[in-house]
Amino acid sequence: MVLVLALGDLHVPHRAADLPAKFKSMLVPGKIQHIICTGNLCIKEVHDYLKSLCPDLHITRGEYDEDARYPETKTLTIGLFKLGLCHGHQVVPWGDLDSLAMLQRQLDVDILVTGHTHQFKAYKHEGGVVINPGSATGAYSSITYDVNPSFVLMDIDGLRVVVYVYELIDGEVKVDKIDFKKTATMHA
Amino acid sequence: MAEEERRRRFSNLRSVRWRVDLGILPAPPEASVEEHRRAAADSRRRYVSLKRRLLVDPHVPKEEGRSSNFVVDNPLSQNPDSSWGRFFRGAELEKNVDQDLSRLYPEDGSYFQTPACQAMLRRILLMWCLQHPEYGYRQGMHELLAPLVYVLQVDIDKLSQVRKLHEDCFNDDFDGVPFPDTDMVFSYKPRKEPNWNLGDDNENNSERSSKTNTLDELDSDTKEIILLSDAYGAEGELGIVLSERFMEHDAYSMFDGLMDGGSGVVRMAEFFSPSSVGSSSNLPPVIEASSALYHLLSIVEPTLHNHFIELKVEPQWFALRWLRVLFGREFCLNDLLVIWDKVFACSNNMLLSSDEEYNFRILCSARGAFIAAMAVSMLLHIRSSLLATEIDASCLQKLLNFPTNIDVQKLIEKANALQSIAIDVNTSSSSFLLKRDSCEYDRVHSNHATSTPPRTPLHPVSESYWEEKWRDVHKDGTTPKESEKGNSFSKQLKKSLTQRLGLSRTESDPSPLKVLSVKNNARNSVRRCLLNTLSDDLGRSNEVAGKIQQDEFPIVSVHREPPMSSAEPSKSKAVGENVTVSPLCVAKLNPLKNSVVEPAHENATQRTKCIAEACSSGENSPVFYAASSGNEPENAQDIDSESSSVTSNSCAGDPVIDGILKDDSSDSNDDSKTIQDSEAASSDTSPDQDGIAERAVVSNERKPFISKLQWLLKLGRPSVEGNMEKSSGETSDDKQGVDTSCSSLSDGNSNNSRGTVKMASGDKKVMGTLKNLGQNMLENIQVIESAFQQDRGQPGPVENFSNNILGGKGQITAMAALTELRKISNLLSEM
Repeated sequence: MVLVLALGDLHVPHRAADLPAKFKSMLVPGKIQHIICTGNLCIKEVHDYLKSLCPDLHITRGEYDEDARYPETKTLTIGLFKLGLCHGHQVVPWGDLDSLAMLQRQLDVDILVTGHTHQFKAYKHEGGVVINPGSATGAYSSITYDVNPSFVLMDIDGLRVVVYVYELIDGEVKVDKIDFKKTATMHA
Repeated sequence: MAEEERRRRFSNLRSVRWRVDLGILPAPPEASVEEHRRAAADSRRRYVSLKRRLLVDPHVPKEEGRSSNFVVDNPLSQNPDSSWGRFFRGAELEKNVDQDLSRLYPEDGSYFQTPACQAMLRRILLMWCLQHPEYGYRQGMHELLAPLVYVLQVDIDKLSQVRKLHEDCFNDDFDGVPFPDTDMVFSYKPRKEPNWNLGDDNENNSERSSKTNTLDELDSDTKEIILLSDAYGAEGELGIVLSERFMEHDAYSMFDGLMDGGSGVVRMAEFFSPSSVGSSSNLPPVIEASSALYHLLSIVEPTLHNHFIELKVEPQWFALRWLRVLFGREFCLNDLLVIWDKVFACSNNMLLSSDEEYNFRILCSARGAFIAAMAVSMLLHIRSSLLATEIDASCLQKLLNFPTNIDVQKLIEKANALQSIAIDVNTSSSSFLLKRDSCEYDRVHSNHATSTPPRTPLHPVSESYWEEKWRDVHKDGTTPKESEKGNSFSKQLKKSLTQRLGLSRTESDPSPLKVLSVKNNARNSVRRCLLNTLSDDLGRSNEVAGKIQQDEFPIVSVHREPPMSSAEPSKSKAVGENVTVSPLCVAKLNPLKNSVVEPAHENATQRTKCIAEACSSGENSPVFYAASSGNEPENAQDIDSESSSVTSNSCAGDPVIDGILKDDSSDSNDDSKTIQDSEAASSDTSPDQDGIAERAVVSNERKPFISKLQWLLKLGRPSVEGNMEKSSGETSDDKQGVDTSCSSLSDGNSNNSRGTVKMASGDKKVMGTLKNLGQNMLENIQVIESAFQQDRGQPGPVENFSNNILGGKGQITAMAALTELRKISNLLSEM
């Protein structure tokens, strides 16, 4: 029963001032065990805020991040799942599933979390799951202005991961739920 | 009687008996096995439904369509209704519970530390706390639950033993009738052949199987066990009363019964709640129950109670643990089971009708009264060591480390005796007492660390008795003895005392608290004046009587010095503790006049007791009290203390003492004349007391009595200046006066015994009180001895004389004094 928060592309303070209030009210410390952040925070204050939510924080470098020490990619194991993290601007074409699958195979992970497109996506394909948590602040992207703030909460429980998607649509938080089960043959 | 039968019925099976007591299984002794089984089955079903409702797993998908609103039901939801919210709350509770469970009985063979047991305990506690969110989980609940599980386990073990012994009775034949051997298959059906038993059992098998073929051959207890666990009885397997499978369910029911009190009075859950719901006063129930404990103690053993108050030991410091865990931390597990047998055997029903007033809620049921009585009997058990403590920390230490090698049966017997007292105490007091106590308890509650201790309740008997005595005394008027006295001082004393007594009669009703409080400050000055005049008068006469206890007092007073000087001036408790050693401390306490010593009234009580014990003279002590009680109102806050001390003094059993005290407490006039009168009066009352018996002796005694006064007042005077050291210096200087007073005290002792002759003729009550007096003396002697034992280990630096506590000579003389005290007590008991 591990709760993992996945978010990214906040672009604070350049493109957005802060997380939406409704999101902030939901994110209370103590409930979440891990936070994985795709990148583009961009400043240290956001880093500290996320750290306050949960001490176990993993970040990869986005192109606008002011801290140059974040890695390009990261992998971690939570429960029985292997997670991979990358910002996504390195994978061209941006947001292309096959390219991302290539990255996933490269990193050898079950769940790949990337961002950069500021659009929520969740794919399940051949061996794994690719999740794009979108932009938590709703900051505009190079591709589009029409961005809904969104983030993802994964509940990893044994061989099953439940993905809750939180989107702020028209000022209301909408939650959706996706189930993924890891099969034994996912990765030999 | 019904209870006896019940006991006999399940005397071997504690868990069944406790379930009956806690209301889970049917109570009436004629309840059949079926009824028990049905009740057991019901309780188990309740538990299971509760479990299904409360222990929710958010992962389990709900069958009724997955249209659940994810906005509500997501892990981050702030919505309290969401299943995730409940999950997180449960997780929080579980964390707390685990903290306690890991420390549960780690020493006891670790039955409780096995993972299975821990898991079961955790679930039960979680369930109960989820079911009762207003209490949450508090530390201690696990200790209440553990013995319940233990007895269940013990009974199940017993069952398996019985099962092994009486294999044949646990047959699986459906109707008890074996199927006819018409079928080859059935004929080979094993009839519970114990072939698979251990090898050494085999030779016994044939014996056993021949012995116990039918159920009826067994003794009733075993028969009952078997019937209760028959898998085919009422309710089938769910109804097996002693069932391992349903141990968790049963434990939960027992725990719930204990905590909720089964619609009775004592609900353990209340002891865990900080709010004042469910208590008669506006105090948390556990505080109120602790006060009930003190209340009972003050009636049963005022010495100890006063000692506690003097040391400012609040009852809930130790009683909290005792009550919340029902003494689980004070006794080993087996002893605890015996105690709990008794506790549960007492019914929990409300004894009072709904409109009757009561003082303490806990005492409204037999069970609660027994709990309180048990606590008091525990206190009495370590009484002497407690009385020997000097500071609250050491007292508390002794209380919290209750000795382990005790005879539990004795404690229980004592508690039985006290139980009825407890129940009476609850309702016996008049309304004023209730009001008074509630005022006091409010104050206790608000001034946590300080001041006002629970008041000793008045002995209603004593008041009227003393008034009677006073009337008797003054009816005699001036006796011929008075002419013999020829001492204006004593005349004056008597007069002033008469006046005081007169005043006291109007004030003896303790209900007008305000009046007392108004008089408080007046009293201070009165007493000071009294002391001054007394000292003046005493200074006139210088008697040197015997030298019997000459050395005792200097030693004793010296003995007290280090504690006094070391402690703050307000720690007259040190003095109070040693007060029983000698009446010197009375004078000693005078120095503490100016200090805000709130247990002063306790000191007075102690003083009066010690005086009563040491000199046990009706005539001598009044003056002492007149002098010493002047110090009581030093603590202007203690309004009630005065009257309570006055009346509690009366419990010591000396008529004039009490009269004088009441006199003092109510005094509001500073009149040197009245003082002198009272002095005269007291000295006059002494001859009255001696009365007919021996006049010559009295005249002799009067002299030392006066010298005693003188000495007292000399000590008192420096105290008026508020200088303890000086007074201690004076003490050592006044050894001479001490000698005289000592001798006078000793004389007073004999005097009192003679005086008792007169008293005995008058009133039977006096006899009883005197007997109590003697007993008190004996006990005080024990305290002295223990105190001396203690102090022997505390060698003080021999810098000044005052620190030379117990030189060898001092010890000898102290022991001599103690033997004297013993003689006195023997005399008294003869009376």
